Amino acid sequence: MNEERWLRASDRWLGLLLWFYPAHFREEMGEPLVEAYRDRFRAAIRRGGAFTLMMVWVRAFGDSLRNGLGERARPAIRWRRMGNWGRDPELVVRRLRRAPMFVVAMIGTLGVGLGAFGVVYAAVHKVLLEPLPYERPGDLHYVWRNYTWFDLDRGWIAGTDIAALNEAGGPIEAVVGLQRNFATLTSSGSAAAEPEEVAVMISSAGLFDLLGVRPVLGRTFAPGEEGPDREPLMVLGHEVWRSRFGADPQVVGSEVRLNDQPYTVIGVMGPDFRFVRHSSLGRPQGADVYTTVTVNLAETDPGSGSYAGLLRARPGSSPEAVAAAVAAVGARVDERDFDGRGVELYRVGAMEDLVAPVRPALLVLSLAGIFLVLVLAVNLATLLLVRATQREREFAIQRALGADRGAIVRATLLEGLVLGLLGGVAGTLVALWGTRALVALAPPDLPRREAIAVDASVALVVIGVGALLGLLAAALPAIYATGSNLGALLKNAAVRGGGGHGRLRRSLVVVQVALSLVLLTAGGLVVRSFAGLLQAQPGFDAAGVLTFRVPVPQSIYPEDGAVLAVHERVHAELAAIPGVHAVGAVSALPMSASMSQAPVRFPGAPGNTGDDSLDSPLIDWAVMRPGAFEALGMRLLAGRAFEPAPPQGVQEVVIDDLLASTFFGAGDPIGATALIVGEEWTVIGVVRHARQYDLHQDGRPQVYVRHEDVTFGALSYAIRTSRSPMSLVSEARTAVWRVDPRLAVSNVRTLEDLVGESLSQQRLSATLIGAFSLGALLLATMGLFGVVAGTVDRRRQELAVRLALGADHPQVIRLVLREGLLLVLLGVLVGVPGIYLSGRALAGVLVGISPFDPQTLLAVAAGLTLVAAVACYLPARRVASIEPARLLRQE
Amino acid sequence: MTGMDRERGIGRFLPLRPVEFHILLSLAAGERHGYGIIQDAEARGEASVPDLGTLYRALRRMEDQGLIGAAARREAPDAGDERRNYYEIRPLGLRVARGEARRLAALTRAARLGGLLEEGSP
Repeated sequence: MNEERWLRASDRWLGLLLWFYPAHFREEMGEPLVEAYRDRFRAAIRRGGAFTLMMVWVRAFGDSLRNGLGERARPAIRWRRMGNWGRDPELVVRRLRRAPMFVVAMIGTLGVGLGAFGVVYAAVHKVLLEPLPYERPGDLHYVWRNYTWFDLDRGWIAGTDIAALNEAGGPIEAVVGLQRNFATLTSSGSAAAEPEEVAVMISSAGLFDLLGVRPVLGRTFAPGEEGPDREPLMVLGHEVWRSRFGADPQVVGSEVRLNDQPYTVIGVMGPDFRFVRHSSLGRPQGADVYTTVTVNLAETDPGSGSYAGLLRARPGSSPEAVAAAVAAVGARVDERDFDGRGVELYRVGAMEDLVAPVRPALLVLSLAGIFLVLVLAVNLATLLLVRATQREREFAIQRALGADRGAIVRATLLEGLVLGLLGGVAGTLVALWGTRALVALAPPDLPRREAIAVDASVALVVIGVGALLGLLAAALPAIYATGSNLGALLKNAAVRGGGGHGRLRRSLVVVQVALSLVLLTAGGLVVRSFAGLLQAQPGFDAAGVLTFRVPVPQSIYPEDGAVLAVHERVHAELAAIPGVHAVGAVSALPMSASMSQAPVRFPGAPGNTGDDSLDSPLIDWAVMRPGAFEALGMRLLAGRAFEPAPPQGVQEVVIDDLLASTFFGAGDPIGATALIVGEEWTVIGVVRHARQYDLHQDGRPQVYVRHEDVTFGALSYAIRTSRSPMSLVSEARTAVWRVDPRLAVSNVRTLEDLVGESLSQQRLSATLIGAFSLGALLLATMGLFGVVAGTVDRRRQELAVRLALGADHPQVIRLVLREGLLLVLLGVLVGVPGIYLSGRALAGVLVGISPFDPQTLLAVAAGLTLVAAVACYLPARRVASIEPARLLRQE
Repeated sequence: MTGMDRERGIGRFLPLRPVEFHILLSLAAGERHGYGIIQDAEARGEASVPDLGTLYRALRRMEDQGLIGAAARREAPDAGDERRNYYEIRPLGLRVARGEARRLAALTRAARLGGLLEEGSP
């Protein structure tokens, strides 16, 4: 083989080896590198012939492999090749500084939008997603009773159930029983202060161990520190320790009195410990102090469900296994205590149980948040696109001068990224403020309300979403920018701003209108649903009523007669306050979800069906003193209310209109006999049902009985006054303390506040979604305005020609207007499927209104179109400023 | 020494890789094309002459850094030269090369004082 042929073979080998290098390197350095290798191959042949050449080939292979791959692995260099990467941020900053209004508009929009998103994200994250602050929170479950033969599927469990569950073993590690009561706290010594009613969590001794939490001071209950004949011990919650005991560490070991019984304080919980006991029917409730049960749970009455059961599963056991174990215990309990009548026990995950009531609202809010972010993204894209259009010439010239396509794309993307990041930071600041407002606005019973705050992880997500939005929004204009080409642009010089992007921008407006329509519809529905709630007729009149609780502890007044006498005197003292029209006392105020439950029967009533489950419904009952109906504004429909003097030898009951219509239809229930917990009661009146749970719908039927017949220690007072209710507070306190200074006055608030609290979740949803949808509308309007203004600008020549040819200004304005309204119409059409989807999500939060309420849908569509028409008309009017003669002369 | 180099803006280039030093060394003597630099290195009797790929990557990098540049004029053009790139050293490159030489000299001196090198050995 001669030298030439060897060299040709070497060239082919080199050609292959060069592929190891990245393209940009091959292009620039390929030829000199090949030349140099040829020199080396020639030298090798001359020196040692074919064998030496082969050695050089092998070495060249190793060289190319190492350096080719090395070059590919150096992205920094690749980027530099594509343009001056290092200078990009500097350029972006300089460019943005030249357009301060654009930057302000951009960051302002992003800041508000992302702030709203941040608030919603923080709420959803903290309430729905973040685990409970206990050890292995996934292994915590609540256990409830389902009485299958009547309408109570979420009942308290009995002490015996807890004992049975604890014996069962298997996946069940431990179960504690929880009760929550109110008691009057008094303390002697330095901490002596007014008597105060506190919420007491009465639990099995194992509560704190089961949760896996530790106190900040002292200790918690040790195993076995429960039941009768035990020294009463107490663990203080942080808030009580701070407010009542001045955060004094010496309190551990001291004695305090609960309902005049001595308790030894053994520990204080930390500020982060916020335990709530879930309720069978009402809302989860926290407590101020913790004590243990004073009975032996295994020896309690199996028929009386009175505990919430909190279960800790063994590590690694599945919810299904726990459910099966709980159900098995339930079957045994049913056999043993209920003769197989059908009591079931079941478990619900603690977290699931806690958030279930708010889940639909929060899901709708997060959907609204996502929609808002989408609208924001489109808005951002539009703004960047406008900017890209303005810089079209710049791009084209850069391209013509040889700037790399990648460099232009990169610069645009970087601009979006920088704006997105800045917007994210602004959004985080807005969210910081917004979450505080949200917590203030949120219902007090919103689970884990205190936990809602912007922390580092939320801030990171908001800034991240901002950056992502910026990049996404910049992608469209970036792709568009690379398409600009000087030749085409110069050819199109007459058409200012070019034409190609117009379609893109118009599509963006259509998308924006569609998204806004969906958000606006949701907003309209939620707001209307809320307005409906405000006008609900709950069966009582909340205006001008002050309410508070006055517990009369059994420890101070052991005799029922004495309790009645104390309340009698309190009542009289309160009635004597000037400006008080009526005073009432009940064991459960309306909307407090605190009535007691029992089955009722009306023997011989015409409404009886013979079906036991229908004839013996579960009802809510409360005790009251005379005058309560008047004080609460409950309307008496038939018969009479309780007389001041108790009747002799008869137990009186007032039933609500639900029971009256079920059992007596059009007939007269007055004088009929009711059987409640085995006793006979005589119906003396019918009163309008006063809602206990939901403002918008009736709950269980209700009955009211006299305080003399069922003596409760604690009653809630309602004072109807013509004065401002809260101005009565100090006089009311003094009045109570005139009777006995050891009595606490607690839960002081107006009845309107009580109603307001029950609405706060809806108010929150309505406020947030309303704000979101208005924001979306504003953004869409801005987008539309911009497009129409751009159209007028771009078509100035054409419009001038039309005017010159005899069209008058209104005609031309209509022409432009038509184009804008077409976009709106398209957007509305595109948005309709979105309305359908959002309607399905909304169904869970709407009350008394269908998610497809035609009135609302039409009103929103019409409103949106009207606003859009104005947004089109304003810029379209610029046509009027066109003076065809002058404009055409300029050409 | 390092402080002084940093003052003159060359500290960030130091230490140089062997291939970079060879390039600057060759170009300090005059314009060269790539293979010429290799030949110079071989002529200096270097034990490890850089591979061609390594050399060309370094050339490109150093051109970016402003240490060397494409030569405007070619010495003794011959038939194959049309496709070759000739390089020349830039003032910055010269300063960097001198800085590296000083650094190496200082290290050598230190090695001698420390007894790692015998007096008079290269």
